[in-house]
Amino acid sequence: MSDYISRADLLSWLEKVSQSRDLVAPVKIEDLTLFQKVERVEDIVFDPGNTDLSPKEFFFPKSEVLFYVDRSDGRVELVPAEVEQETVIFGIRPCDAKGIAVLDLPYLEEPADALYRQHREKTTLVGLSCVSACPECFCTSMGTTPDDASNVDIMLTEVEEGFIVQVVTEKGKALLPEGLLSSKEVSPPAAPSVASVPSEGIAEKMHQVFDSPYWDRLADRCLHCNVCSYVCPTCYCFDVRDLRSGGRVERVRSWESCQSPGFTKIAGGYDPRAAKGPRLRQRFAHKLLYFVEKFGVTHCVGCGRCVRSCPVNIDIREVIQDVQGLGVKSEA
Amino acid sequence: MAVGHEPRIVGFLCNWCSYAGADVAGTSRITYPPNIRIIRVPCSGRVDPLLIVKSFQMGADGVLVAGCHPGDCHYSEGNYHARRRLAVLRPFLEYLGIERERLRVEWVSASEGRRFSQVVSSFTEQLRKLEPRKGAEVEVSS
Amino acid sequence: MNATEQIVAKARELLESGTVECVIGYERATDGVNARPLFVYQAEEAGKLIFDQTCAHNLAKYLLNRKGKATAIVAKPCDVRAVNLLINEHQVERDKVLIIGVVCPGMVETKWGRVSEKLRQACELCREHTPVVYDFLVGEPGDEEAAVEYPDVARMEALSIEERRAFWEEQFSRCIRCYACRQACPGCYCSECFAERLDPLWVGIRIAPSESWIWNTMRAFHLAGRCIGCNQCERVCPMNIPLSLLNRKLEKETLELFGYRAGVDAETPAPFATFRKDEKLEVGE
Repeated sequence: MSDYISRADLLSWLEKVSQSRDLVAPVKIEDLTLFQKVERVEDIVFDPGNTDLSPKEFFFPKSEVLFYVDRSDGRVELVPAEVEQETVIFGIRPCDAKGIAVLDLPYLEEPADALYRQHREKTTLVGLSCVSACPECFCTSMGTTPDDASNVDIMLTEVEEGFIVQVVTEKGKALLPEGLLSSKEVSPPAAPSVASVPSEGIAEKMHQVFDSPYWDRLADRCLHCNVCSYVCPTCYCFDVRDLRSGGRVERVRSWESCQSPGFTKIAGGYDPRAAKGPRLRQRFAHKLLYFVEKFGVTHCVGCGRCVRSCPVNIDIREVIQDVQGLGVKSEA
Repeated sequence: MAVGHEPRIVGFLCNWCSYAGADVAGTSRITYPPNIRIIRVPCSGRVDPLLIVKSFQMGADGVLVAGCHPGDCHYSEGNYHARRRLAVLRPFLEYLGIERERLRVEWVSASEGRRFSQVVSSFTEQLRKLEPRKGAEVEVSS
Repeated sequence: MNATEQIVAKARELLESGTVECVIGYERATDGVNARPLFVYQAEEAGKLIFDQTCAHNLAKYLLNRKGKATAIVAKPCDVRAVNLLINEHQVERDKVLIIGVVCPGMVETKWGRVSEKLRQACELCREHTPVVYDFLVGEPGDEEAAVEYPDVARMEALSIEERRAFWEEQFSRCIRCYACRQACPGCYCSECFAERLDPLWVGIRIAPSESWIWNTMRAFHLAGRCIGCNQCERVCPMNIPLSLLNRKLEKETLELFGYRAGVDAETPAPFATFRKDEKLEVGE
């Protein structure tokens, strides 16, 4: 027996949820599918496949005011921004949920990032397991699975006419009203098979090939746009500036990418990663080497967005494969 | 506040002709509306379209570019270059939804104080007939 | 020999003879159906080269990374115009570039893992199938020269000013300022883009509508009279912003006012690099 909810009951529950909280779910915007605040629950897209941008922006917004300076009464006071709004993210896939768990590592490590923590505390995640896999996905090689419920508060799995419901956390339990779920004799569909990537021992291999000319060759075709970083559910680099805006001074944080020109430029104009090869290598070294050494997990969840979105097909799956191969070749 | 408001105009005036023309208006006690904020530039050819676009982004209702009459440029040809750029910028801004009338280009010589006053007056009147533009929340380096 | 075979043979010959150090062309992407740029340095790697209707990338951009080095480039008519633009603007030396021109069948709409039969919009509207200049031509030159038309721009112009303003606000609000449009554009090569200037600050770091508005407006305007219409900016935009509508408006204006099309040759000065004293431009009149 499984806890079960019909599709109609799910939608009317979501409708209720949206009255007291921000309900965020995948919706269609022209040709794109994006996580957005839902106006009508009928707009929610249940289709398989990943949204064009990841839901990280609800924890690490594209741009966010960290604090502003209050200069009234002749005093100078820094007023920190606060997150008031309770949010429910519906339809988050296991890879994206894992992505948020990965973001937690740098952002919640003490001293934790105050705003990130507030976003995290105010948000409940309702996951949707994948019943089919996209051709660009490789989650099972990156420490998660298409039905991994460990990083959400409630997990749903689509079965005919409705969904099997797993209540994972207390937070998830608190969101569900009594009597909403019924018991039903259904078993979840088998998890789809996901293409695998030889990620075993990748950090060690990255060490070995760090100075390989491979990176310069790979970077030949890289345009150094920020698409990969911005679609990525785990990239968390940002830029910070103090700005005058609407008559007051604010400290703003915005997405930034290691691929953008000037990201590492320092006073005096020197840029230690000005060359294309080292700049591109940074992305993979961070994902597959530095992060692994610091936090013990890869900084990639295998969602495949960068694979799909890169204008020149720089494919992390291929890079992993190549890097594994490079080590072998140099030994031979 | 809609029609009949006080428009805000950013005026880029070339140092050699139009700025001097504005000066002549002042010293001759010829009045013109205070709606214009004048920025002195070396030449109308120095007016990068970015300056104009930035002005509109920051909520200007109108932008005036004024320079020497064609043939009179202090640098021989700066205003000819300006003329080409602005001839393309104006329809482009209109395409983006900024009315054609909001960008005005005038040749004002150093002796044309009265003409400068007339240009600013008629531009201000023209802009009064349009809806005020909203000043965007724009970042400024602090 | 088909186009691919001709390109492979030519690349092999150029590399074996040492005429060039590198051939920039296309190879099959990892999705198995699309193309991606390929840099061939060794004659034995030339066999990877392909050419088909998925080769939509404008490889001329990469010549900027190979200044002064003898390079061959596989180029469609729009790509060749980009090479001309770069020669005209003294970014690339003609004698360092060997153009393997390709008679272009038009590129098709693609997504990752999927290729349609429908031509890309830019290709649908394009009237040029034979490159204006080349050192070696792949395919048979056809006779063409149909008038250039701008039906997409005309549709936009027909809207009211409020509708246009609303349209662009909506479009730009999606912009995430990844700058892929700039990075893919062969005409965007400033060593420091105005968007990265700190003092004065033209574009703030905030990924917000007002900042995206000035970015998109000025990106397009910097290409006025310079855009060669390869439409890379739109191809790479992850948020599907119709950037070609901006570029083509400016292309139309500069064509109507100055009779100029960028990249048709490498000598005629761009409209903003020259002027005529007696021209009537409805500015300052």
